[in-house]
Amino acid sequence: MPALTLAGVPDDDRVLVTVFLRGGADGLALVPPVHDDGYRRARPRLGVPPSQALRLDGPFGLAPELAELHPWFLEGHLAVVHAVGSDDDSRSHFVAQELMERGGTGAAGGWLGRWLRARATSGALTAVATGPEVPDSLRGAPSATALGGLTELSTGPAWSDLCASLAGLYAGDAQLGRPARDALDAADRMGKLHADGVHPEHGARYPSAAEGDVAEAFGRQLAQLAALIRARVGLVTACVDLAGWDSHFAQETIVAPRMRALACGLSAFATDLGPALARTSVVVMSEFGRRVGENASLGTDHGRGSVMLVLGGGTPGGMHCRWRGLDDDVLEGPGDLPVVHDYRDVLEAVLRRHGTIDPRSIFPGHVPAPLAV
Amino acid sequence: MLLSRRQLVVGAGSTVTLAVVAGRATRAAAAPGATFAVPRSPEVDLVDHVLARCGFGAAPGERERVRNLAARSDEAVDRWIDEQLAPGDEQPELRRSLGRLDSLEQPVGELYEWKPEVVLRELSSAALLRAAGSRWQLREVMVDFWSDHFNIDASKGECAWLKAADDRDVIRRHALGRFRDLVRASALSPAMLWYLDGRTNRRATASERPNENYARELLELHTLGADGGYAQTDVMEAARCLTGWTVRDRHRFRKGRVEFDPALHDDGEKHVLGGRIPAGGGARDLDALLDVATAHPATARHLATKLCRRFIGDEPPASAVDAVAVAFRNSGGDVRTTLRALFRTDSFRSPAARRTKMKRPFQLVASALRTTGARTDGGAPLLAALRSMGQSPFQYPTPEGAPDVARAWSGTLLWRWRLAMGLAEGTLSGSSLDVPGLVCRAGGIEGLAAHLLGRSPHLAERAVLARSASPLGVLLASPAFQRC
Repeated sequence: MPALTLAGVPDDDRVLVTVFLRGGADGLALVPPVHDDGYRRARPRLGVPPSQALRLDGPFGLAPELAELHPWFLEGHLAVVHAVGSDDDSRSHFVAQELMERGGTGAAGGWLGRWLRARATSGALTAVATGPEVPDSLRGAPSATALGGLTELSTGPAWSDLCASLAGLYAGDAQLGRPARDALDAADRMGKLHADGVHPEHGARYPSAAEGDVAEAFGRQLAQLAALIRARVGLVTACVDLAGWDSHFAQETIVAPRMRALACGLSAFATDLGPALARTSVVVMSEFGRRVGENASLGTDHGRGSVMLVLGGGTPGGMHCRWRGLDDDVLEGPGDLPVVHDYRDVLEAVLRRHGTIDPRSIFPGHVPAPLAV
Repeated sequence: MLLSRRQLVVGAGSTVTLAVVAGRATRAAAAPGATFAVPRSPEVDLVDHVLARCGFGAAPGERERVRNLAARSDEAVDRWIDEQLAPGDEQPELRRSLGRLDSLEQPVGELYEWKPEVVLRELSSAALLRAAGSRWQLREVMVDFWSDHFNIDASKGECAWLKAADDRDVIRRHALGRFRDLVRASALSPAMLWYLDGRTNRRATASERPNENYARELLELHTLGADGGYAQTDVMEAARCLTGWTVRDRHRFRKGRVEFDPALHDDGEKHVLGGRIPAGGGARDLDALLDVATAHPATARHLATKLCRRFIGDEPPASAVDAVAVAFRNSGGDVRTTLRALFRTDSFRSPAARRTKMKRPFQLVASALRTTGARTDGGAPLLAALRSMGQSPFQYPTPEGAPDVARAWSGTLLWRWRLAMGLAEGTLSGSSLDVPGLVCRAGGIEGLAAHLLGRSPHLAERAVLARSASPLGVLLASPAFQRC
């Protein structure tokens, strides 16, 4: 008999979805402090005028491209954390992503991998990456499967025959035995799901190809994920990537379509889940933000603090930030938004609702400063 | 062209089948109709190890050819490596099939005449055709290695066109040459100038901030490595050195041309990695920067580590890395000398190293085609399979390139199995193979198993093969075939 959470849902039915914005997403573009003078000075050409932003709280507005997320904020299903990030100041995508997915220095594996191990959960579809690769955050997980696409799996007698043969050959393989078992199990379950197809519910409308390849691909992955969550195949966590935020040059053309993809995709996902949103947490994160001042090529270089979002799963919502403005004496290094909140404090708050164990084992060495997100 | 297994069985060897298939596809490797030798030992020998690790697997008949290069197998392997380090022309059959990919031999400016997706598709197909079919296997392996080391995602900006030129004029041209030349060619490659924003790196006025993107990756990924001991100030100074280099975009006359604009260059004094680059250097700042970065001891170590990871194992022993780093440094970054040193290490030659490296998806596809002697056009179904396995050629999104360790790929088994089944069952259009003929030439199912696995099959493998309706599919999907 699984333990019940406050919401009355068995722990094992709760799903944690992380959306990683790879490339260093500009928190000041996603959630611009439109009423902050320093922001308007630093972003004379790239800045969002206050009249165009959607009202959040304090100096903050939501980028117009994220309009689809605004109702979720107003209804208290969306929490926004600003000036959040890691203590890594390398400003290197790979070092910062690696550190964030590891969940701190001096820890083995990824933070989701450690969490799954600590929960002692296993099974082929416990942890999935909706893209073709398993991210580093799932490193060390008892199982983790890259889905690629639900519909790509074939079934039929030749496939069954092959799977039966491979089960025996992989059984004793120290390195590939477990991934093979996961793959076989996944093939089986996905075959069943494939027969039923992916049908969004509650009137959810995912981005179509007309809204751009980025939005379509992101939406398609989320639609598949919603189908998996509804099917209750034992999913505990899922990782979704939305890449390409590295806006050194002509930022507008890079960031605007991705913001629209993010907002339309997540809004459709939340709608699609319906009541299941109460047992599904979505966390949006990026390895770092961008420099406060725009560069000569209408872009922004690697910075420090960015934005995290928490959608659904019982979050109290709201805007969370100890904002200190953007004056020169506040900025860090070459002119970056300092990291005021540690990303692990956001993750920890969410993990607590997913029946977490001792957070110190998930984020070793981190001194918690709890955030009510 | 889609051939069912039944059609293949019926048509095997008939002129009708061959003529139809040969119209568009090429055989992945020379495959005479005669029988070929297969391994007899339960252990992988040195010849098979080298063909698997320094190439994309043994084509039918290839191990015999290598074995006959000298009386002793270690000498034969040395000869083969010597041969491979001095590549000549491609065989006519491969040249013909590459010749059908119209866009690839065009000068930079002319590449833009093609649709970007066509150039990328042809470039990707060419990579597969060469890996599977070229007799110069080591060069293809090094091209694969450098394509990740100097990763460019063709989906950015004008890279879809320009990566084709980068592949030809930078990566292939210098794959077995001098590292310094390779880095310089890459720094001035129009595709790289697009991919890492070098083309927008300018400082016309004191208030303009250089774009640090390329400078950072040059130090972090291309030369010194993330733990190479450089600081943020080195990145910023390197970026200053590189200001002013740009590439003409497609809306301009002479598109794709790389130029240096002194007016956009920060010509002040720079201090990079402990060295001083005097003011007034102009375009020469690039070479001054590359001199320092490529000769830095951390660069030798970084390259040695990556090469050993590719050719020896995911966690290569320090002794091998040391030896390779010394060879790199002493030869002034000569790739041939460095590789020779690597292939001489005990770690590389040890029987314990054999079949311990998980094939990356590209290696898996290329080796499946090569070892089976498949006819292929390197086309869409194979590229789709690579996409589902997370390794679409020239589309790795981030500058560090596709990972080279097993754990990154262990989640791809399902898609590997699907590819194996597709190839064995003849359901991948554009690729076909004569399964009964292959079995016959290998001397039966167990002979085919020995050929594909590099050793005679184990008891458990023999039992599974005896029961299976598709032994070739099982072999290509087996754990042993996932490794090289």
